[in-house]
Amino acid sequence: MDISVKGALVQNGMQAASYPPRSIHSMAWMAWIAAIVVIATLTRNPFYLGLMIAIAAFVRWRWTTQLALPQVALLSPLRFSLLVVASAALFNMAMVHTGSNVLFVLPSWIPLLGGAWTLEALVYGALNGVALVSLFLGFSVLNHATSVRSLLRLIPRAFYPAAVVTSIAVSFIPTTLQQIEQIREAQAVRGHRLRGVRSWLPLTIPLLEGGVERALQLAEAMTARGFASGAPVQKRWSQWLVLAGFVGVVVGWLLQIIWRQQEIGIALLVLGTLLVLAGLWRAGRRHPHTVYRAERWQLHDWLVVLGAGVAVVAYLLPWFERETLFYYPYPTLTWPLFDWRIGLATLGLLAPALS
Amino acid sequence: MTRALRLATYSLTSLVGLAAFLYPFWLPEVTQNADGTLAHAHDSALMVTLLVGLCFVVLLLEVQQDAVGAKMIALLGVLVAINATLRFIETAIPGPGGFSPIFLLIVLGGYVFGGGFGFLLGALTLLVSALVTGGVGPWLPYQMFAAGWVGLTAPLCRPIAAFLDRVTTPRVSRALHHSLRTELWTLALFAAYWGLLYGAIMNLWFWPFAVGPAQMHWTPGVGAWETVQRYLVFYVVTSLAWDLARAGGNLLLVAVAGTALLRILRRFQRRFTFVYAPTIYQEGASQESASREGKAEIAWTSQ
Amino acid sequence: MIRFEHVTYTYPEAASPALNDLSLELPEGQLILVVGPSGAGKSTLLRCLNGLVPHFSGGMLRGAVRVGELDPVRATPRVLSRRVGFVFQDPEAQFVTEIVEDEIAFALENAAMAPQEMRVRVEETLDLLDLAPLRDRPIKTLSGGERQRVAIAAALALRPSILALDEPTSQLDPKSAEDVLNSLVRLNHDLGLTIILVEHRLERVLPYVDSILYLPDHGEPALFDDVRSIMGRVELAPPLVRLGKALGWRPLPLTIKEGLRFSRPWLAERNGTFLPRTQTGQAPAHRGAPFIRARGIRVRFGQQEALRGVDFDLWPGEIVVLMGRNGAGKTTLLRSLVGLVRPQAGVIHVAGQNIAGQDVAAICRKVGYLPQDPNTLLFAESVQEELKITLRNHQMKVEEERITALLQRLNLSHKADAYPRDLSVGERQRVALAAISVTEPGALLLDEPTRGLDYAAKHELERMLRKWRNEGMAILVVTHDVELAAAIADRVILMSQGEMIAQGSPASVLATSPLFAPQIARLFPETGWLTVEDVLGANGRCQD
Repeated sequence: MDISVKGALVQNGMQAASYPPRSIHSMAWMAWIAAIVVIATLTRNPFYLGLMIAIAAFVRWRWTTQLALPQVALLSPLRFSLLVVASAALFNMAMVHTGSNVLFVLPSWIPLLGGAWTLEALVYGALNGVALVSLFLGFSVLNHATSVRSLLRLIPRAFYPAAVVTSIAVSFIPTTLQQIEQIREAQAVRGHRLRGVRSWLPLTIPLLEGGVERALQLAEAMTARGFASGAPVQKRWSQWLVLAGFVGVVVGWLLQIIWRQQEIGIALLVLGTLLVLAGLWRAGRRHPHTVYRAERWQLHDWLVVLGAGVAVVAYLLPWFERETLFYYPYPTLTWPLFDWRIGLATLGLLAPALS
Repeated sequence: MTRALRLATYSLTSLVGLAAFLYPFWLPEVTQNADGTLAHAHDSALMVTLLVGLCFVVLLLEVQQDAVGAKMIALLGVLVAINATLRFIETAIPGPGGFSPIFLLIVLGGYVFGGGFGFLLGALTLLVSALVTGGVGPWLPYQMFAAGWVGLTAPLCRPIAAFLDRVTTPRVSRALHHSLRTELWTLALFAAYWGLLYGAIMNLWFWPFAVGPAQMHWTPGVGAWETVQRYLVFYVVTSLAWDLARAGGNLLLVAVAGTALLRILRRFQRRFTFVYAPTIYQEGASQESASREGKAEIAWTSQ
Repeated sequence: MIRFEHVTYTYPEAASPALNDLSLELPEGQLILVVGPSGAGKSTLLRCLNGLVPHFSGGMLRGAVRVGELDPVRATPRVLSRRVGFVFQDPEAQFVTEIVEDEIAFALENAAMAPQEMRVRVEETLDLLDLAPLRDRPIKTLSGGERQRVAIAAALALRPSILALDEPTSQLDPKSAEDVLNSLVRLNHDLGLTIILVEHRLERVLPYVDSILYLPDHGEPALFDDVRSIMGRVELAPPLVRLGKALGWRPLPLTIKEGLRFSRPWLAERNGTFLPRTQTGQAPAHRGAPFIRARGIRVRFGQQEALRGVDFDLWPGEIVVLMGRNGAGKTTLLRSLVGLVRPQAGVIHVAGQNIAGQDVAAICRKVGYLPQDPNTLLFAESVQEELKITLRNHQMKVEEERITALLQRLNLSHKADAYPRDLSVGERQRVALAAISVTEPGALLLDEPTRGLDYAAKHELERMLRKWRNEGMAILVVTHDVELAAAIADRVILMSQGEMIAQGSPASVLATSPLFAPQIARLFPETGWLTVEDVLGANGRCQD
């Protein structure tokens, strides 16, 4: 039933593939990948997972063809996915020895591997692999669709120093590669040959020393342009806030799962999260700076976030038949159930591909 | 006050982080329902992931205090660049097993400049190399956290080396020479130890994927210890060899390159990180103030 | 208005002060050149302007500095960055971000400027430096000159009224250097920006400079005056100016155009009594077999042909200078002679042996190769250790006498135990030279050896190379520096697009080339003179 729906969508996608998709705000992409992570962590139902993989593959196909990127992976995505699924299946079959459809039995004195190798374990392992593949696919779309620059802009202001460090590091990598080459040649020219571990020393020491000297000059240049990361602040309210919030979240969660205090647990969770956010906001104010050319948030980005939100909500809230999510082939292999409403909600993840 | 805050942050996040990483062992037992099933079994994996993320955020916020000033930030940036480049080389020219050259700088950096510096160096190395190679994946936050931990705990070597030094010096005549060696070997062993531990931690991430969530291999009556044993067997079979290669590699790298690199880092520290404010005085001033570590004193007379 | 009043500054843990009782006043709106021997404190002086000294470097500062109404000692560099922009020497180590636009916006972001205002400001700054076509480019793809222009733009984003530049062109080739200096001149003329520039290559910039600040070695007071007065009083000067001083031309000519006004009549007076070019040591006739022999070298990088069938010989006891535009193939040829680049076709013999089967380390036992950046060579704890490391690498015996003799020859005996990276640029280069020549090679190949050197260090290098040449060393130098070629070359080779297009004595190759003629040759066309000594020797006067 859903297969035909999927097929129709794929058809439509092919017809619409004539113009490039609009660029999507990095925040929207974050929402999208968060949805995929949530779903892949939660469920092992092959229908839901398969649906998600199809969607992710479609989005990936749309984005990579439009961006005209060469496929540089060592293994094509398909082969890689099959490899992952196969190894996960094999692993699980070798480790877990429960289930009624026994394929063959190894003598039980062999540690870890001994016992019955069952079909159920194989299937479950494969499902684990499939979940992994969906994660890989989702992240590969992210890698293609966003640039380092846009990802760096996402880092909240509270972490501005870390963001600057990352920015510097990214821009220094080409220089470092060049330096390595130059040092290699310079050392070769004075008779150095790479023999043994000690011979790496004449390569690494100039690299580090050169790096340190460059760091100094860079620090001077930054200071000369008004960069002030600030002296350590005495009263660290923001850090106390964040810490308190953190404790709140942990305690709330523990209350919820160990001592079954639902209301207090959830309340503490929410309170804790709010405190953390407040602390981060305060910490952000210590680094006054604005952002040049912030990405513009467009209607399409709302669609993406909405689609991701719908998908996540369907999987988290107990409105639909949540039990279908938690499919276990043990102890006997049965046919998995499927709630079409959850499946429909998953289609919300298609938003980035439609434009 | 600041020290209390730092201590609280480090201990809380490490504790929670550790517990979160080890959730397959203790969580099933404590969330057991009366009928033997597990409560919230399905959501716990997700919650744990979020919790680890939160730990990271809290720790990062605290640790940034060590990266104050353009010099530290620039030095961090350049070191992260060098380390990330070493990581490409590692993937391009695969060494034996899990050998990874990045831990050398992380350990030494943390040792010389402090835990915060080491944490940032570790975490951002992984981030930058993932960003630049387009290899951002679901394991990245765990890698960042684990690598950050390596740098964060590196300053522990200082008291250990000092202690070992005190213990062994009376027996050796050439004390100075030996003390340098003690330091080096402490660091080398530390790096080796983390080589193994890093692998174990990353494996913990992978384990639930490989063998399914807790309820599948946890049966009522089986305690935490049993599960630990099963994990250990899993670990030995799958990744011990890999991790031994990493540990051995770390040991070798630190032993060979440690002295020289330490010298370079210390030279930087000595010359360039000591003054926040200089000693200055106008013509005719009668006193100077000391320009030593961290003291922000400016003495001047009005003109 | 910039004022220094009895300023004495000592770096932390330094033995003697970098600036000693310095008092001066610099007016606004001028293009001011700061010159002086290396180590005289030029960089320190610049850094006093924007507070890097003493806030960044620590140490002890005595006296008063005033930039406008600001006191760089009380105000932080952050406050001063709005008044004084600063550009540094290394085009590789000044950037925080990847993209040109972002780099310019970095200072503005830190100042928490409103986004709308930032947009306008960035656009204006891009136009100021003609960088609009490059705005989206990653900085790593830009040339050195373009990068320095980006650095200038980034410094100007906050609209400072003063721009300080610490040797901005020393790492650049002449074309890029010219672009950067032209931008600076435009900024000064069009905006009235006060520009304070430390620069060694005076030829290009002298005509546009309003005043010069001369910082002599310790013990003598600083001099601030207009260009011609200072040039008349100091030693280090471009050839044109030196000649003008020696021959008493007043007012002192700064450009070729001004110089021709004097040189033409001077030459006309001596019509018919040209003396042939004097040269310190005539080029000896080629004796014996060439030390390096290359035939039919073809090198291709991907789609591009870097060398198209080049033949080349290098004899002992001569200095050959290889010149040409960027990308002409000079460096490729140099590198292929030591095996760093393996040609697709052709044969290279060094000391009679084909190098095809040898690795770089083996080849470099007989041929010393000095890379462009000597820092990449140095990593030992002391200068002596560097030499010993090379000997050990080649599995040669470590003889103390050999090391001491070499250090003495290179004027490094007093620095034998110094940490190489603490030395000045010229000294570091000499250490690198020592490190590669300790094996007593038969040939020396140098890649752009005068980059970043001041006149004194250049003369020192020239002297050493001539001495080596006289002892029978075969020397090949790749350079853009025409004055260097004029001073030392026995033979000059011009390359273009992977081929040698001209070869011969310096007088024949350089004198008439519009791109490569040294200043003296331009002043006296058709005489074959290339250096000041040539002219003065012809005049019958003895000069050094």
